[in-house]
Amino acid sequence: MRSRLAFLVLLVVPLRAIAPQGNPRSIAIDERLAADAGLRVGDRVVVASEPGLPGDTVVVAGIVQRRADPAEIARGEYRVRLHLDHLQSLLGYGDRVDRFGVKTRGAGSTGDALSRINAAAFGFRAHRSADVAVETSRTFAVVSRFHRAIGVITIVASAIFLLCIMLLKVDERRRDVAALRLIGCSTRTIVGSVVLEAAAVAVLGSVAGIGVGGAASWIVNRHYQAVYRTPLRFSIVTGDIVLLAVALSLVLGVVSGWLAARRLAHTAPLTLFGR
Amino acid sequence: MIATLALSSLIRHRARTALAILGVAVSAAMLLDMVMLSSGMRESFRSLLLSQGFQLRLSPKGTLPFDTEATIRSADSLVALLRSRATVAAVSPVLGGQLHFAVGNATLTATALGVDPAVQGDYELIAGHSPTAPDEVVVNDAVLRALGRAVGDTVRAAAGYDPQLRTLSGQRVLRIVGRVRFIYLALDQRAAALPIATLRAMNGPASAGRASLAMVRLRPGVDVDRERAALEAQLRTVTVISTSEALKQVDERLSYFRQLAVILGAVSLVVGFLLVTTLVTVSVNERIGEISVMRAIGVRRWRVVAQILLESSVIMLVATPVGLALGLVTARWLNSILARFPGLPERIDFFLFQPSAAWTALGLLALSGVLAGVYPSWRGASLPIATTLRQEAVG
Repeated sequence: MRSRLAFLVLLVVPLRAIAPQGNPRSIAIDERLAADAGLRVGDRVVVASEPGLPGDTVVVAGIVQRRADPAEIARGEYRVRLHLDHLQSLLGYGDRVDRFGVKTRGAGSTGDALSRINAAAFGFRAHRSADVAVETSRTFAVVSRFHRAIGVITIVASAIFLLCIMLLKVDERRRDVAALRLIGCSTRTIVGSVVLEAAAVAVLGSVAGIGVGGAASWIVNRHYQAVYRTPLRFSIVTGDIVLLAVALSLVLGVVSGWLAARRLAHTAPLTLFGR
Repeated sequence: MIATLALSSLIRHRARTALAILGVAVSAAMLLDMVMLSSGMRESFRSLLLSQGFQLRLSPKGTLPFDTEATIRSADSLVALLRSRATVAAVSPVLGGQLHFAVGNATLTATALGVDPAVQGDYELIAGHSPTAPDEVVVNDAVLRALGRAVGDTVRAAAGYDPQLRTLSGQRVLRIVGRVRFIYLALDQRAAALPIATLRAMNGPASAGRASLAMVRLRPGVDVDRERAALEAQLRTVTVISTSEALKQVDERLSYFRQLAVILGAVSLVVGFLLVTTLVTVSVNERIGEISVMRAIGVRRWRVVAQILLESSVIMLVATPVGLALGLVTARWLNSILARFPGLPERIDFFLFQPSAAWTALGLLALSGVLAGVYPSWRGASLPIATTLRQEAVG
C-alpha cells in the first residue's frame, strides 16, 4: 500500500451550493471534522494545500471513524483522506510517497522479505511494523512508566491505610480476646481465629474493591472517550490487576491481623479488660 | 493539662500513632505532587513562552507553531507590515528546516532554524556570538558532540538530501561561530541556527520569502488580546496565537494529566480525612470510660473535645512536614520520568513547586484532618456520664 502523508494545511470550505464541475474527485473525512464543520456525505468542498490557493472542488464520499490510536488522542486535528495521485498533484509532489506498506505471507517470511528488500533498496529502508511501533510509541512508554510510578505510590498509601485499619480493628477485640483467654482458649486458637477474620474482611473488601474499580474504570473510559472523541479504552481492569489487588489486600490483612492478634494474645487477660 | 493528656494518649499507642502519621504523610505527599502536577506544567510552559518577551506568535492558518511543515508565504511583507504597527516593538521571523552535515561518507541531520539574529528568541548564547554573516551558524552541544567540532571550525552543510540519488542539495560551507542552548527544543535534539536568508537560499526557490513562524513582541502597555484580535482580523492567511491561547492549547493537550492530578489529589484528601476519622473514632471508643471519669470529676465537655482534637492536630502537624519532604522527593522522581517525553523542551517541568499552592493544599489536608476529629470527639464527650460509667464498670 502506497501512502503520502500531507503535513500541509488542507483548507476545507463547504460549498453546498457550488455548481457541479464535471466529475469531481472524492475524499473521505473523519467524523470529528464532519461533526464540527457540519459536513455530510455528498457535500462538495474545496481542498487546497494552503490558504488562499484556488484548490480543487471535491465531493465527500465517506465519513470514517477515527482509529483507537493513542498517538492522536491529544491532537485536535482533523483527518482528510484523498486518492494518492490527487494528493500528490495538490502538493506538487510528483509520484513521491512517504512509505510503502508491504504485507508478507506469514510472520516467518517477514525477516526474509526485510533482508531482501534492504539488500536491493536504494534510497529507502524497510522496517518491521513492530520496530516502527516501538519507535513511535516512546511517548506512551513514558506515560506507562509514570502510571506505574503513581501505582507504586498508591499501593504504598493503601498498604499503610490497610495496616492501620486492620490494627485498629483487631485492637477493638481486646475484651473478646481476654474473655477467650479466661475460658481457656489457646493462644494459637485465638491468633488463628483473628487472622481468619482478618482474611475474610480482606477478601470481602477486595471483592467490593473490584466492583468499585470496575465502575471507576467504566466512568474513566466514558469520560475520556467523550473528551477526546476516540474509541480508545483508557482504563482496562485485567485479571492480573485483580489478582494483584486481591493478593496485596489479603497479605496485608493477614499480616496486620497476625501482628495485632499476637500482641493481644501475649497480653495478660485482666490487662486487656483494663483491670 | 490538655496537651499532656493528648501526648500521653498518642505515646500510649505508639504503633498506631506512627502508622497514622505515616499514612497522613503519604496522603500529604500525594496531594502535594498532584497540586504540583496540575499547576506546574502550565506555569512552566507559560514562563517558557514568555521567557524571551514575545507575546504573540503567527503561524500558517489553522496550525500551531511548528506543529506541521506548513509555512507562511510572503513572510517578508508580513514582517514589514507587523513592524510598521505602532503597537509592535519587535518581530522575529523563523523558518524551520533541516541541515545535513557531511561527516566523511555519511551525513548527520539536525533541526535548522533560520532566524533574524538581531531579534531572535529561539536560543541562548553560551559561547561565541550570533551568526551575523551569511555563512555563519550557531549549534547546540548535541551537534558539536556528534560532529566532533568546536566553535570556530567550518563544516559543510546542505539543506536537502535526496535518498534515492544520495545527493545533497543546497550545500554551503558554514562557520560555527557560537555554542547555544535552544529554548523550545529538546535537550538531546541536534539543532543549528543560521540567518533566515541563508537557510532560504539553501532550500531553493520553494522557500523564497517563507517563514514557519513569526514571533511578535509588543510595546509595554499594549493590550495583548486586543492586538491579537486586530491582527487575526487583518491577516487572513495566518493564525495569531497569544500566550494565553497557546496555554489553552497546552491545557487541552495535557488535560489528561491535569484531570488525573485533580482526581488523585481529591482521593488523597479523602484518604487523609478517613484515616484520621477512623483513628479518632476508635481512640474515643476505647476511652469512653476514661472520658466519663473526666466528665464526672468536673472536666468540662469542651476541654475533653479539645484534648481529642489536639491529638488529631498533633498527628496532622507532624505528618504534614514529613509529607512535604516525601512529596518533594517523589515529585522529583516522577518529573524525571516525564522529562523523558520525546521532544520535550529542557525547561519544561511537570512538577513545579509553587509555595502558595503547596501550602494551601497541605493546609487544607491539615484542616480536614483536624475537622475529622470533631464529630467523634464531640460524641464521646456527650455520652451520659452515669450510664457510661456503669456500663464500663460492669463490662
